Amino acid sequence: MSRGLSILESQLLARSLKVTRSTHLLVASVTAAVASSATLAMQFTGPLGEIAMSAVIFASLALGTWAISSEIFSRSSQTISNLRSIGATRRSLSSAVLMPVLVYGLAGSALGAVIGVGLGLALGGFAGAIVLLLEVVAVILASSVASFVGVYVGGRAAWRS
Amino acid sequence: MAQLSALQQAAMQANQNRFAVEVRHVKKAYGPNGETEVYSDLHFQLLKGTFVALVGPIGSGKTTMLNMFAGLDKPTAGNILVMGQDITQMEPDSLATFRARTIGLVPQVQTLIPELTVYENVELPLHFAGVPREERQRSMEQVLERVGIRGESGRTVSTLSVGEKQMVSFARALVNNPPIILLDEPTEALDPLMSQVVLGLLRGDNMTLGRTIFVTTHDRRVTDLARRTLRVKKKIP
Repeated sequence: MSRGLSILESQLLARSLKVTRSTHLLVASVTAAVASSATLAMQFTGPLGEIAMSAVIFASLALGTWAISSEIFSRSSQTISNLRSIGATRRSLSSAVLMPVLVYGLAGSALGAVIGVGLGLALGGFAGAIVLLLEVVAVILASSVASFVGVYVGGRAAWRS
Repeated sequence: MAQLSALQQAAMQANQNRFAVEVRHVKKAYGPNGETEVYSDLHFQLLKGTFVALVGPIGSGKTTMLNMFAGLDKPTAGNILVMGQDITQMEPDSLATFRARTIGLVPQVQTLIPELTVYENVELPLHFAGVPREERQRSMEQVLERVGIRGESGRTVSTLSVGEKQMVSFARALVNNPPIILLDEPTEALDPLMSQVVLGLLRGDNMTLGRTIFVTTHDRRVTDLARRTLRVKKKIP
């Protein structure tokens, strides 16, 4: 039961569940928008503001990815039961939704953090290289954990229904 | 005394190994308080390698029985053992994997994935059963050839006719070489030629490969082929 999901199997499942390029784009752009604005804001606030911004990132992305994954699971509920009738496990179906959201969420947040730092520098909010680096890491970490939590909670709710 | 008990256990085990499906005092009821009772005490066994047809009026619970054998529907009470394993006690993911390896299901309602091609649809159960790539390719070539849909393998399922979809569904049920095949009205959507292909495959699989076949049907040609016919008499009110 601990068998990993092959890339081909994961792609087939993602296509079956209609997790398409537009889903990837949606996840990446939402993450990038949240991450860039939060990174920008961080550069003009003290340590407390940075913590607050991380919390904002976490909350908004967890909510966003929860909404996306819930939508995928609910619109594909018939497909999911069809796939389960021929042997798909909940684990493999969850991974098929979770992996793209994580990968594109991570890419989006990294891009957003870089944009935020760039904008901050342009607006004169430079706070030192180390602090900037820490901010970028915090943003990426907060958004990737949030994406995971969002999809996980969305998936759990779908399996219970 | 202990020896006798061990012998008895061995005899029971040997007896159990003869059965593909064992239905033990199964009760099935629907509704919030279980007021619509479909089966009150179902108790029988299907021997390995048998070919059983289940007939009865529409709405008498034939599909329910088939779904319970496949673990898609749980009995209200009682147990169902498939190839010696109690599927009523299995966790959902263990049951899904067990189903991928043990049961080929051809449901009456189409459950193919319209976004995928014929090839991809038929290949799915092999992925779920964790079959390596080379073996997957071998199984795919064999089954597409046998069912006669090799020429359609690149087509998207949404472009197929109802009969063609049924044939793909049939190929998907056979691809993992499962010991048990469950079919729900398999010939209903098929033209006479396709029906002949399906009936020939079922007969061949049952006679030469010893596959256990359980089929719900209204088709006389199917019941003629079966070794045993079960009849559900009662109609749900």
